Amino acid sequence: LGRTRAAQRGSPSCRRELCCDGDWHCTASWKTHSGSMWRVTWAHPEFGQVLASCSFDRTAAVWEEIVGESNDKLRGQSHWVKRTTLVDSRTSVTNVKFAPKHMGLMLATCSADGLVRIYEAPDVMNLSQWSLQHEISCKLSCSCISWNPSSSRAHSPMIAVGSDDSSPNAMAKVQIFEYNENTRKYAKAETLMTVTDPVHDIAFAPNLGRSFHILAIATKDVRIFTLKPVRKELTSSGGPTKFEIHIVAQFDNHNSQVWRVSWNITGTVLASSGDDGCCTGILKGNGSPVSGSSQQGNSNPSLGSTTLSLQNSLNGSSASRKHS
Amino acid sequence: MSGTKPDILWAPHQVDRFVVCDSELSLYHVESTVNSELKAGSLRLSEDSAATLLSINSDTPYMKCVAWYLNYDPECLLAVGQANGRVVLTSLGQDHNSKFKDLIGKEFVPKHARQCNTLAWNPLDSNWLAAGLDKHRADFSVLIWDICSKYTPDIVPMEKVRLSAGETETTLLVTKPLYELGQNDACLSLCWLPRDQKLLLAGMHRNLAIFDLRNTSQKMFVNTKAVQGVTVDPYFHDRVASFYEGQVAIWDLRKFEKPVLTLTEQPKPLTKVAWCPTRTGLLATLIRDSNIIRLYDMQHTPTPIGDETEPTIIERSVQPCDNYIASFAWHPTSQNRMIVVTPNRTMSDFTVFERISLAWSPITSLMWACGRHLYECAEEENDNSLEKDIATKMRLRALSRYGLDTEQVWRNHILAGNEDPQLKSLWYTLHFMKQYTEDMDQKSPGNKGSLVYAGIKSIVKSSLGMVESSRHNWSGLDKQTDIQNLNEERILALQLCGWIKKGSDVDVGPFLNSLVQEGEWERAAAVALFNLDIRRAIQILNEGASSEKGDLNLNVVAMALSGYTDEKNSLWREMCSTLRLQLNNPYLCVMFAFLTSETGSYDGVLYENKVAVRDRVAFACKFLSDTQLNRYIEKLTNEMKEAGNLEGILLTGLTKDGVDLMESYVDRTGDVQTASYCMLQGSPLDVLKDERVQYWIENYRNLLDAWRFWHKRAEFDIHRSKLDPSSKPLAQVFVSCNFCGKSISYSCSTVPHQGRGFSQYGVSGSPTKSKVTSCPGCRKPLPRCALCLINMGTPVSSCPGGSKSDEKVDLSKDKKLAQFNNWFTWCHNCRHGGHAGHMLSWFRDHAECPVSACTCKCMQLDTTGNLVPAETVQP
Repeated sequence: LGRTRAAQRGSPSCRRELCCDGDWHCTASWKTHSGSMWRVTWAHPEFGQVLASCSFDRTAAVWEEIVGESNDKLRGQSHWVKRTTLVDSRTSVTNVKFAPKHMGLMLATCSADGLVRIYEAPDVMNLSQWSLQHEISCKLSCSCISWNPSSSRAHSPMIAVGSDDSSPNAMAKVQIFEYNENTRKYAKAETLMTVTDPVHDIAFAPNLGRSFHILAIATKDVRIFTLKPVRKELTSSGGPTKFEIHIVAQFDNHNSQVWRVSWNITGTVLASSGDDGCCTGILKGNGSPVSGSSQQGNSNPSLGSTTLSLQNSLNGSSASRKHS
Repeated sequence: MSGTKPDILWAPHQVDRFVVCDSELSLYHVESTVNSELKAGSLRLSEDSAATLLSINSDTPYMKCVAWYLNYDPECLLAVGQANGRVVLTSLGQDHNSKFKDLIGKEFVPKHARQCNTLAWNPLDSNWLAAGLDKHRADFSVLIWDICSKYTPDIVPMEKVRLSAGETETTLLVTKPLYELGQNDACLSLCWLPRDQKLLLAGMHRNLAIFDLRNTSQKMFVNTKAVQGVTVDPYFHDRVASFYEGQVAIWDLRKFEKPVLTLTEQPKPLTKVAWCPTRTGLLATLIRDSNIIRLYDMQHTPTPIGDETEPTIIERSVQPCDNYIASFAWHPTSQNRMIVVTPNRTMSDFTVFERISLAWSPITSLMWACGRHLYECAEEENDNSLEKDIATKMRLRALSRYGLDTEQVWRNHILAGNEDPQLKSLWYTLHFMKQYTEDMDQKSPGNKGSLVYAGIKSIVKSSLGMVESSRHNWSGLDKQTDIQNLNEERILALQLCGWIKKGSDVDVGPFLNSLVQEGEWERAAAVALFNLDIRRAIQILNEGASSEKGDLNLNVVAMALSGYTDEKNSLWREMCSTLRLQLNNPYLCVMFAFLTSETGSYDGVLYENKVAVRDRVAFACKFLSDTQLNRYIEKLTNEMKEAGNLEGILLTGLTKDGVDLMESYVDRTGDVQTASYCMLQGSPLDVLKDERVQYWIENYRNLLDAWRFWHKRAEFDIHRSKLDPSSKPLAQVFVSCNFCGKSISYSCSTVPHQGRGFSQYGVSGSPTKSKVTSCPGCRKPLPRCALCLINMGTPVSSCPGGSKSDEKVDLSKDKKLAQFNNWFTWCHNCRHGGHAGHMLSWFRDHAECPVSACTCKCMQLDTTGNLVPAETVQP
């Protein structure tokens, strides 16, 4: 019974969870929010089977799977309990992400009113108590957040925020906040001035022991930045870390808005989805694409089987398994 | 429908047909071209579909609007509204079903001729057709016809018909509509409301009106300019869209006074607005002279908690073609599929994609959700062009026990797949380092041992200014070359390079033999030459040429080599120094570079990047003076560090320099696996204390966990604690006595026993032979196992409780782990427990705790407890 699980962002206010036993089947489906749900995310399994969801109905919720309350006949059927509802936001909550596990059980949400909220469950055994630890104002309607997954002591906790604010004044849409040990607050560390179009998704690559961070941004194209911390000794201590920021790749293969980006476990392959379907780009470990930055083969089938265009699979391509 | 602007319609039932209409009606058939080539005469619609023209109907001139009959049968029946207000039924089907034959050609004639603006079939009563007409004095503008009614030729004089229709055939004319509505007004758009078959929504001249056919005298209306293109959301029957100029208004019929929403105004007038029939709340709009279809995603019903929340709308646009779009049509059943037509009748078939959310699984399979489907995309086995990603590589290497061979260290590169020359070099380096450290320690237990792991750079530095050169004779040639006298350090360096073997012997013979055996003829020849043995070099080349896999050209090279002359201005020298650059093999190239070089300047050899670092370094150790050598090594080290080239570990050793080098390697490749195993080899040194190294190790362990390689991770931990005793985790669980509170393991650890590996985890109530059944502190008996009721500390019986035979087999199979069966285990929830072996077999069949009256479902509380490590299911 090897289980991998995927939570599916459901049609308005209903969520299904699927469980893989070689094949996928739905193990639980329940009503969650009164508005449509934007995102779901899993907590690290160290904290149990925990999900967080956020919705247009201005709330975010934390769910935990309960086994054992069902009787023997229903064994294997899982049962999800809402542990808490986070109601601080006055507007739609657009994204929710658990912090990397070394920080404990923490959760960040961002909302359309431009606030990033960071919650912490002080007692990991009690998921119904969450305290609002930080509120970061981004001044722009937020659409996505990403924690820096690095657990190295050399890197302090960091969170990147993207905005899909479509107002015409060209402002930088990606901001990076860093936790300052001295002030115990999150302070803005960087702003990516070159990204001025609405940002729909943002993702730090798994750090995997690299000396720099890789950030993928989904806007009207896919962009990949590296952020290399300038050595602490060189900067005045106490202030926010300075970064050398380089754009290492920019893909416009979607030729349209890009909605989601996702890194593989090593941060070497990035998958993205846009209005034209789905495709993946293969990147070397340093974030540079395999064959130059203007890589044309992104949706080119010859690049490998992982580069399936969605169109093909909609028509029942053999390489992908279809589940409904 | 003016002649220049075609419209397009999908057949409501035959999903592969559509009609384009401008001055005539053309029926097309759509085919998939995924597996077949484009047929002659068919039009390409998209990458994988094409259309074939089936038939053209030009019977009905002056077409203004077209509507497809909604019933399945007869197929391809269309109602055409004409400029004179007549509605004609026409067909594009080839087979004229006799039953419906009399329908085709039927005409519905209004009292006064004026333009017909719109047509709408009733979705429930399929025979009802509503037509919206322009205004004519006080006449009605909305006429509802029943297509099955008998024609009434007596009302309309025959000659009038002849005049207008210009036909001589028996025309079936109907002049008596079922209902007449909208007196003294004009009708611009119409749609039936699905709530009731007798409700009709009409966009009149200055208002939107709902007509109820049950009571035609009454109508509900609202004054607005947005009267064009009224259309009902197929998923939300109270929601209606209409437009005026560049603005779309969304109405809720339950709150009809004003639009619930108006969409942002477009700079140009709209031409079409349509709800997606396959997805809720998706509205497509098209404006004049544009190649963009704008989509509005209105998923959000107003929330009950929000008082005045406006639904948020996600606005998107798609650009299906480069030309202006004349019209578009949603496919009735295919998800989000649409076809567009341009004024010059090129068509394009495409799918509007949802926001696709996607996620990678740790084992490089990608999942994405699109529409109502979830797709999983797994990496295919036959990767032809794509180099395997490092994630896949590391996973396979973990399975092949890469890095765990601590005896024959060099073998690890074979475990890694024997494909990466850098890894090969790295593991050979580590192998030699280990070997010579042991060697040194045996000879003199001084501090020399750590020097070996410090790399050639440090070794060479330590011998500064002690070496003199001397002239050596070439064997088989009458020539002499300066060679550095080999002191201890240089010998050690050569040993690390692999040129000479252990022992005081400085003969490269064995190394040459092993190279020849592996078929590296060129390299062997070069090494022989660098050791001033030109005869051996030629002999090796000949051998290579005559071997099976060898290159016949090697004979030619051997010939050229044998012509060597020392004369400075000879033709041989001239030719060799120019032609050597054209040699493909770097080793052949450096051979001639060496022979043609001036005494003491060997840049052609030293800076040939394609030659393995170890050979270049060994060469440098032989021929360069101390200062030259130091400078060279320094330079090469920095080069390697910059590039993150693992061959450079030979120079840097496992020092801080080595960590720097490894850092740029990890930055480049993400291969923390190699980094972790490599740095663990240097355990007695300080490198393991480096934060970066600890971070790599931690990351690698996390990776193994994420892959569910828990056994591999445990193996790695054991391997790590062997090499780095400081990394042993502290005891996390203690078993202490209920009465005196003293740890039970306290006494156990004083008893010498075999389970050393277990005691590090602190749960060491395990030793069976010590037979501790009572607390060593206070002599109170230990608690009893809930199943066998025997005090803990006693060995477990092979078959507790049940008498199932398969259980017996199970336990005997696990003999290796028998000690584990004796461990304490207990539920953190109900605090009941006993022998681990007993508990495991109990919960194999039961959900509840074995203690009677306790309903705790101990095993299920831990959801991860049911998971199985991934290695066991791996092939």
